Amino acid sequence: MSETSSDGARRLAEGARDRVNFEEEALALADQVYRVARGFSRSKEEAEDLMQETYARAFRSWQSFTPGTNLRAWLLRILTNLNIDRGRRAQRTPDQQPLEESDYFLYNQLEAASGETEEQRVLDRLSQDNVAEALAAVPHDFRDVVVLVDIGDFSYADAAQILDIPIGTVMSRLHRGRRILKKELADLAVESA
Amino acid sequence: MTAVDPCDWCEEVLQPYLDRELTDAEREEAESHLAGCSYCQKRYRFEEGLRRYVRQAVVEPMAPALKQRLSELRLEL
Repeated sequence: MSETSSDGARRLAEGARDRVNFEEEALALADQVYRVARGFSRSKEEAEDLMQETYARAFRSWQSFTPGTNLRAWLLRILTNLNIDRGRRAQRTPDQQPLEESDYFLYNQLEAASGETEEQRVLDRLSQDNVAEALAAVPHDFRDVVVLVDIGDFSYADAAQILDIPIGTVMSRLHRGRRILKKELADLAVESA
Repeated sequence: MTAVDPCDWCEEVLQPYLDRELTDAEREEAESHLAGCSYCQKRYRFEEGLRRYVRQAVVEPMAPALKQRLSELRLEL
């Protein structure tokens, strides 16, 4: 075998090894990626479809990932873009909704409704179903940020990078998204009381 | 400059505090206020609990079958 063809074979073998490493690392992060996919989706089936599309695309374009950078954020960026492509954006326009409540709105509502002053008991008035339903009611631009930060545990900077928006926009959407979520939770909790 | 009510300020920084996004100086100021204010402390515990609660409510483990399907999406060598 000539020197050149054995070099070529070695490069091929190295490329295959890099790819396998990449795939294994990506699969090891699947649980964390799924958490965010589930937060974005209304059903388990929808989350599973989104995961499969995300991983199919990630495996196809593995060479565009720069080794040593944040793979979790890279995967989440693919997932977020696919989620946007699915046209889950345009719904109601949240900016037109009046929202004057303070950050403590939910606490104050629940405290008033239950007469409880112990914060754990106040929290006990919510049900897990309420949370999923309330989250689904938050408009997507806002929900994306809330899901990434509150459920995915990403920093503001990572969320900004994933969604390709300025960090100030992450902060304002987070602020508003959490208030909308609390308003929805308060409405559901009062309804079910 | 108008004096800011410390509880209003605390409400404003509570979310970034829980997000671990405050500067050290802001964090210390928030902690020192929380240590001495039962009104804010109660709300802080509620917000912290709510955060945990939201996380648990939507987190269900990924189905093992999905993990298998993802693994099968790998390209042929």
